[in-house]
Amino acid sequence: MKNKEIKNILLASCGIFMMTACTDLINNEKDTIVAVSDGDGFAAGDPTELLISAYKDLGAYTDQGNIYALGQHPTAEMIPPTRGVDWGDNGVWRTLDQHTWDATHSAVLGAWNQLNERAYKCNEIIASNPSPAQKAEAQFLRALNMFHVMDYWGKVPFREVTEGVDVDPRVLTRTEAFDFIVSDLEAAVSGLDAMGPQPLQAKANKAAANFLLAKLYLNKAVYTAASPAGPYSFDNGDMAKVIGYVDAIIADGYAINDDFFSNFTEDEGNTETILNSAEGTPQNRWMMTLHYDQNPSGWNGFTTLADFYDTFEDGDIRKGLPAEADGTDMSGIGFGFLIGQQYDDNGDPITDSRSKNLLKFTRDVTLAGTPTDKGIRAIKYHPARAGKYILMRFAEAYLMKAEAMMRSGDTSGALAMINDLRAKRDAQSLSSLDENSMFEEIGRELYWEGGKRTTEVRFGKYTTGTGTLIQDDYTILYPIPSSAIVSNPNLEQNEGY
Amino acid sequence: MINQLYQKSLSTLQKGGMSITKLVATTLTLCVISLTAFAQNINVSGKVIDATGEEMPGVSIQLKGSTTGTSTSVDGNYTINNVPSNGTLVYSFVGMQAQEVAVQGRSVINVTLANDDQLLEEVVVIGYGTVKKKDLTGAVNAIGTKDFQKGVVTSPEQLMQGRVAGVQITQSSGEPGGGINVRIRGTSSVYGGNNPLFVIDGVPLSGDNTSGGGDSQGLGRQAAKNPLNFLNPADIQSIDILKDASATAIYGARGAQGVVLITTKKGKGKGTLDYGYSLGFSNITKKYDLLSSEEFAAANPAQDLGGSTDWQDELFRTGVAHQHNLSYGGGDATGNYRFSLGYLDQNGIIETSSIKRYSVGFTGGKKFINNKLNITSNINLANTQDKGVGISENSGYTGDLLGGILKSNPTMPVYTNGDYTQLGITLANPVAIINLNKDRTNTLRALGNLAAELEIVEGLKFKTVLGFDKSFSSRKNAFSRDLVLDGVVDIGRLYITDIETDNNLWENYFTYDKDLGNVTLNALLGYSYQSFDGYYKGSNLANFSTSDLDLMVNNLASADASQAVNNFVSNSSSEKDELQSYFGRLNLNMGKFLVTGTLRIDGSTKFGGNNKYGYFPSGAFKWKLIDEDFVPKNVFSDLALRVGYGVVGNQNIPHNLFQKRVRYGNWSADQGATTITGGGQYFVAFQNPDLKWESTAALNVGLDFAFANNRVSGNIEFYDKHTKDLLFQVNSAQPAPNPFSWENLDTDVQNRGVELGLNVIAVDNQKFTWEVLANGAYNKNLIKNLKGVYDTGEINGQGLTGAFAQRLAEGQPMFAYFLREFGGFDENGNSIYPQGDFQQFVGSSPLPTLTAGLTNNFTFGNFDASVFFNGVFGNYIYSNTRNAFFTKGALNNGGNVTKDVLDTNEGPWNAPDVSTRFLEKGDFVRLQNLNLGYRVPLSAGNAISSLRLFVTGQNLMTFTKYSGQDPEVSTNKSLNGIPSFGIDYTAYPRARTWTLGANISF
Repeated sequence: MKNKEIKNILLASCGIFMMTACTDLINNEKDTIVAVSDGDGFAAGDPTELLISAYKDLGAYTDQGNIYALGQHPTAEMIPPTRGVDWGDNGVWRTLDQHTWDATHSAVLGAWNQLNERAYKCNEIIASNPSPAQKAEAQFLRALNMFHVMDYWGKVPFREVTEGVDVDPRVLTRTEAFDFIVSDLEAAVSGLDAMGPQPLQAKANKAAANFLLAKLYLNKAVYTAASPAGPYSFDNGDMAKVIGYVDAIIADGYAINDDFFSNFTEDEGNTETILNSAEGTPQNRWMMTLHYDQNPSGWNGFTTLADFYDTFEDGDIRKGLPAEADGTDMSGIGFGFLIGQQYDDNGDPITDSRSKNLLKFTRDVTLAGTPTDKGIRAIKYHPARAGKYILMRFAEAYLMKAEAMMRSGDTSGALAMINDLRAKRDAQSLSSLDENSMFEEIGRELYWEGGKRTTEVRFGKYTTGTGTLIQDDYTILYPIPSSAIVSNPNLEQNEGY
Repeated sequence: MINQLYQKSLSTLQKGGMSITKLVATTLTLCVISLTAFAQNINVSGKVIDATGEEMPGVSIQLKGSTTGTSTSVDGNYTINNVPSNGTLVYSFVGMQAQEVAVQGRSVINVTLANDDQLLEEVVVIGYGTVKKKDLTGAVNAIGTKDFQKGVVTSPEQLMQGRVAGVQITQSSGEPGGGINVRIRGTSSVYGGNNPLFVIDGVPLSGDNTSGGGDSQGLGRQAAKNPLNFLNPADIQSIDILKDASATAIYGARGAQGVVLITTKKGKGKGTLDYGYSLGFSNITKKYDLLSSEEFAAANPAQDLGGSTDWQDELFRTGVAHQHNLSYGGGDATGNYRFSLGYLDQNGIIETSSIKRYSVGFTGGKKFINNKLNITSNINLANTQDKGVGISENSGYTGDLLGGILKSNPTMPVYTNGDYTQLGITLANPVAIINLNKDRTNTLRALGNLAAELEIVEGLKFKTVLGFDKSFSSRKNAFSRDLVLDGVVDIGRLYITDIETDNNLWENYFTYDKDLGNVTLNALLGYSYQSFDGYYKGSNLANFSTSDLDLMVNNLASADASQAVNNFVSNSSSEKDELQSYFGRLNLNMGKFLVTGTLRIDGSTKFGGNNKYGYFPSGAFKWKLIDEDFVPKNVFSDLALRVGYGVVGNQNIPHNLFQKRVRYGNWSADQGATTITGGGQYFVAFQNPDLKWESTAALNVGLDFAFANNRVSGNIEFYDKHTKDLLFQVNSAQPAPNPFSWENLDTDVQNRGVELGLNVIAVDNQKFTWEVLANGAYNKNLIKNLKGVYDTGEINGQGLTGAFAQRLAEGQPMFAYFLREFGGFDENGNSIYPQGDFQQFVGSSPLPTLTAGLTNNFTFGNFDASVFFNGVFGNYIYSNTRNAFFTKGALNNGGNVTKDVLDTNEGPWNAPDVSTRFLEKGDFVRLQNLNLGYRVPLSAGNAISSLRLFVTGQNLMTFTKYSGQDPEVSTNKSLNGIPSFGIDYTAYPRARTWTLGANISF
């Protein structure tokens, strides 16, 4: 009996032994790299890989939504018509066109998340012991993304890499953000390579940093104004800086290329690309406007407005060139504005497969209840010869310099620059230059390139454009996304929302 | 002497001449001889048979009130010596009704044991043990084979549809093998998944998908198949559903959504060979009322192509299903075994779609060392082969296969000059989609366990269980370059998705049963370790040099590697999670009162730092009112009150969100496969080291009752569940490494409800019996204290990018509809929104307030019949299908529409924004199952011991006002990972199925 009891006790204790912990529940990750903190609360990553990733993130700018949509749709050069059952998209486009968006608008949230997340990745790179060159590139990329946040929302949240998920990021005012971005760029500029003009320029470079600095100082009056809607007072010292930064770009060899549409290709003649995205393609730029029955078959979306189209004179290359229609793939697509009868690759007229009428793009276009053939389309990136998507083009720098000269009193110098540019574009010389003709020239050169909103604001034309339902000044800034305010109590909603 | 005899027995055993049964019987007899040397006793012998006259081996015979006992031999005979002539013998056998017989001085007693299902129901599986139904303290429902849904049943959840109060089963569509939502007592979690924990023969499943879903260019995202398809429903003996926290707390961190315990069949009796065959025919219940070619040509003359095609007739067919089930097994008190083979070949009602399953099952057990050691094992192995079709959950402007069937121009001929008519990349010909696509998924899954239980001293047992659940799945989805479809034409596409899972379980626990006189004690103490390994690989290929679908799949080099985008691996991943748990349970039975206390401590690798372990306690109390004097026994035959409270958890979130981790992101090709993007390092999550369990505290009050000599019995349950520390993916406070971060939200998700189960034996006589089983459940769901609002219920289709229909917000039920209020059309035919052109809560929810089931079972002579209705009430369905396809604008765009579209004064250029226009009541009552069986009378001695013929109808009639194909629908319309519910979008249509079959036993 005794033996049996001992045996039982042994068995029981054996069982209890089995019940003690056999794992410490530590993860052994096989498909991810776990970043380990070196003690100061920050776990450094691989700056090389993260920088590659930060460049890939530029692909977000090629989309037709979010960042691009906020910069382009509320302006007078683009309209996103709802065509029956197409492009309603829960009103996201119509509200942008009419300035009737609110703080729950999906593109407002989408762009906010994209830009801030991209800025944060650069913080990680800068904190992960990068080489001086890598640090300069990351500072440039951070400035680029923060610039858009400052421009769109008027305030910029900032998170240190040591601040965890439970920390509410601090918020920089527009002026503080301006200073931060400028100092980032000024620090970066010396560490970046000076690259000459080449068709593809996917790496941060001196000219790109100078380009962004010029843009910052050109718009400084907007960003430092007491009220976002102005009045704006442009300081001669700032304008001199703009001119200086653009001159530095010119010194790197960039120049206006007289073959306008080759600037949107990777052809050798392209001397205007300062920065492009290596990630993605510009295909959304043509897909968003081309009709289903064209080749390539587009999404039949955005068009321009006749008022804007009419600011171009005949003969101006930028207004458009006819399709080659030589039988090669996608040669039926013209360049610039597409209006009237459209043709296929062989030059035969296209019939709308839905209505069975000839496909003729019309001057008239409405925002809603719009038939499929309405509106003038625009093609800068031609599907048959497009290269990569351009983020910074020299012509814009050139125009910034001209505008800065005009704003600082050198109107004749500015007019000479504008007429040189117009000559390259086969347009007649202007006899005089004022704010309005300057604004129109910028539009003719840079239409649909994503920055029109910033230009309209600077020229005081943003709240009065065609189709703008709410003409109040508060729409100059986008609302802070409502979910961002929930996540970060330090964020205050912009006035008017 | 005993020793000598024992030695002799052993030697006989070694020679193989004596069965274990005999050995045990001999041993026991010897014990009896040695221990009961009293006078005035007699020897009793006899034979035990079952209701069919079969001799029963291994039946245990015990003298009541003593340890004296024996068991029957192979031929059912027994002898028990030295029995008091005024004693009582107890005859018992697993699965049979025990019988007590007074000896009354007889020396020969022959007994017939009733094979009684009632008895099986009496014992309820509760996790790490069983309990007598009358001693249950928690809200638990048990259903057995007789309650199961009959006919073509592909997966186990369908067996219990509508049978249990408070358990709502929603097939997301009519696809064979498609996904199934199971909701026990409402929806309490957002990200944590709302399906209950499934435990098969003691092995908890992970709930993860075992086969690949995924996106395909031009069609959209396709759902993974139901991971439970691997278990042949014919192998299931019983399903026990633990509903309240006091019952589910034994599964702690995984108990918040309820627990479903599935027990597979065991062998019993002398050994039978069972074979069942059935042949099923399925047809679509309701076709869409689309315009005919003439009507379409009249409505949109510009699009008249001169032909006449009924696309529904082209694509829908009669789906034939064959099922073969073969099993054999046997068992006695000392052991049992059962082998089963199953074959299912079910064709869907859409051309080419099908599911095939080959399944093998084995269960066995054997007792050793005087029945003190019990070794059991279970294995279920299945190979499932799915042939999919191009139906997706979120197709956009191109539409998927079903969208193609609905919108395709009825005047377009299927073929032109012997080839498919293919008019454009957004107008894919549905017949071409079927034939120029080959989507095959092959899944091999094995689940099993090996357990040993040892009785250390009387009442104290130790059990160790080793369990495993492994699966391998490969999906190959090829689209020929000949298919004119956006992103496919001229290049072809192939998607290969491989998923492997490997889950392992090791559990050790003690149980102790002790009768302390007026208190019976039952205790459990244990440890459990379970690991979950998952591996995934996705490869995408394009730019094929061939349009041969087989060559594309089996000769990957046919994807031209010299093209810009060719063969590339999208990504792979490998994750392992572990759970380590300690658990205990104490039951005290004090006759009138029963008390249960449970505690489980779960540790999980999903949480970091100090939050790895969670504590999940529960307690329950039962008062058997029937034992009180104040309860009139002439009215009640049973009456008991139960109260239970517990805290259970949810940890069903992605792997390791608490550490800072980076990996390389997925590659993906653009629409024309001209470039690929992605591959950059990204942060997997914005790490949150403070993440912890989501927990649900639930109170349950139940009343069990029976009247009229148990003819009417049932129970009423009231519950109140509160879920807090909600695991939620919120928008990160930017700038942040990831747009979303995981947090425990300080939110209270409430589910309150009442359930009623009723069982009435209306008629019970020799010739005719009629039993009525009814259940109903009411649930009210509410979100309290939610900061911010979260949108879900993505609406897709042309012009619907970014649209959504549901929002989670404070004060609203989960998934409340958030829509424009539709007010008709203006003079131009454009929509009017009297409340304004913006979305708002409209007071409607997709969650039903009431679910109910009604079963009538009849037997008359050799015939048996059952009729089962189920109903769902108070819910609303948003028809994304109607929103995307059935408008004047869609017609104007060249698409076919339903006839009612012509009756509206909508204009051709109206934008059908998301509004109450497409919201409909989802109430329905369905004649779900009708079953008629006939047991062929057989003479004794026939080789066939039983033969039953049956005919079953499934989904025979549905009473509903919903205009869509079927009101039982829930397409996955999640947004940012937030699930949706009750939205219908191009769901695989539901079928009516008639099945004929026979079950034969030898």
